[in-house]
Amino acid sequence: MGEAARPPSTVTQTTDANGRMTTVRHGVVVVEPFAVVRAGLVRTIDASPALEVAASAASAEEAIGVVDRLRDDRLVILVAMGLPGEQDAYWLIRTLRKRFPGHVILGMGANADPNTVSRALFTGADGFVDKNVEVDEFLAAIVDSGEDHVVIAGPAADSVGTIAEGIERRRAPTFRLTPREREVLLIASEGLTAREIAERLGVRERTVTTHLARIYGKLGVGNRLAALRLASRSGLVSMRQDD
Amino acid sequence: MADTVRAVVAAAHRTVRAVIELACHEVDVIVVDSADTAAAATDACRSNTPELLVLDLDLLDADGFRVLIDLDDQRPDTVLVLADRADGDLVLRALRLGARGYVTKAEGLRDLAATIRRVLSGERVMSPGLEKDAMGALGRMARRAREGADVEAGLTARERQVLTLLSGGLTIGQIATRLAISPRTVETHVAKLYRKLGVRGRVQAISRAATLGLVDL
Repeated sequence: MGEAARPPSTVTQTTDANGRMTTVRHGVVVVEPFAVVRAGLVRTIDASPALEVAASAASAEEAIGVVDRLRDDRLVILVAMGLPGEQDAYWLIRTLRKRFPGHVILGMGANADPNTVSRALFTGADGFVDKNVEVDEFLAAIVDSGEDHVVIAGPAADSVGTIAEGIERRRAPTFRLTPREREVLLIASEGLTAREIAERLGVRERTVTTHLARIYGKLGVGNRLAALRLASRSGLVSMRQDD
Repeated sequence: MADTVRAVVAAAHRTVRAVIELACHEVDVIVVDSADTAAAATDACRSNTPELLVLDLDLLDADGFRVLIDLDDQRPDTVLVLADRADGDLVLRALRLGARGYVTKAEGLRDLAATIRRVLSGERVMSPGLEKDAMGALGRMARRAREGADVEAGLTARERQVLTLLSGGLTIGQIATRLAISPRTVETHVAKLYRKLGVRGRVQAISRAATLGLVDL
């Protein structure tokens, strides 16, 4: 986390144009895998009078450590959706949301589509900014989100309706499955046959086919592939093609 | 707008329809049909396939959302919604149903012609502040969906059944009979449900479950 050099108190009192004391300078954590982009983001954000970079990180793991060490009550954490590896951006957003409910989490995309935004919001992001907007809009979005507004800045802003539909879709299929059915589906996503799933779970093959039939019924699909596609869209299982 | 744009106008009140028709005329949009009910508006869109629908949510037989729901993928490319009132949830609902503009009649009727021209050019047009309100509604929706999925993931199949029956208005005794288990066991399930939902009583449990989308009321 090369660029972390600021003291932990990132929110300071300043005077606004009307002479009132206001709290500005939101502390920002930048999570971005590419060093050059990260350095650019840090510099750009630090140049804003309302924002201050508290730390930056190159990976999800590093980000968790960094946020844990900072003692701030409230940070705006910018998470690049392009984080590589198992612990991807969605994992990070979910983990941050659980462990640090007080912080603001902003997904950050590059020409992101509505589906990515839906998934980020559903996973726990408070908003979404795209790197392809103008600098002023980018900074304004961070400030706005620091003030508790839900912000979507970038091409996806034209698709709020689609994003909402996407959230609804993610919600729907999972909630009809029992934990056991989920488990069966999860194992099925590895491409195992019913018999192999049965062996893994220590149950009879018949039981597994019953589970699968019930899963298909609940998801309203006719076969395993369609079930997996739906489940992956809702974040229940992960498939490589997803997003 | 090189080609002719044809519009269907829907509003309960004759005066409102007249204002919309006038505004359409001003920007060379041809009004092919006007309707005062959701049913007639839906038919008009199906038979005329207009490029534009200017839709007042206030209709004689139902609210304007009915039209958008019934048209489904036969909705005109551009839908402009007019309403008496607006809040984030209403605007988000309109956006989800494919609306490109949402203006209140109090603020929007005066420069309706300009608004129509803007939505036709592909711009989203909303009364001041509504965009932010809709974003707020989107955020709340995402949070509810996430919380619902989390809570739901923690419920056993039995607890889920009990929750469904509970919200259907059944007593502990009736649930016990239905599931062929003892009332004591039902009570245990109910207690666990309350804890997982973070509530104290039945009414709270049902309303929380409905908010989270776990049951349909």
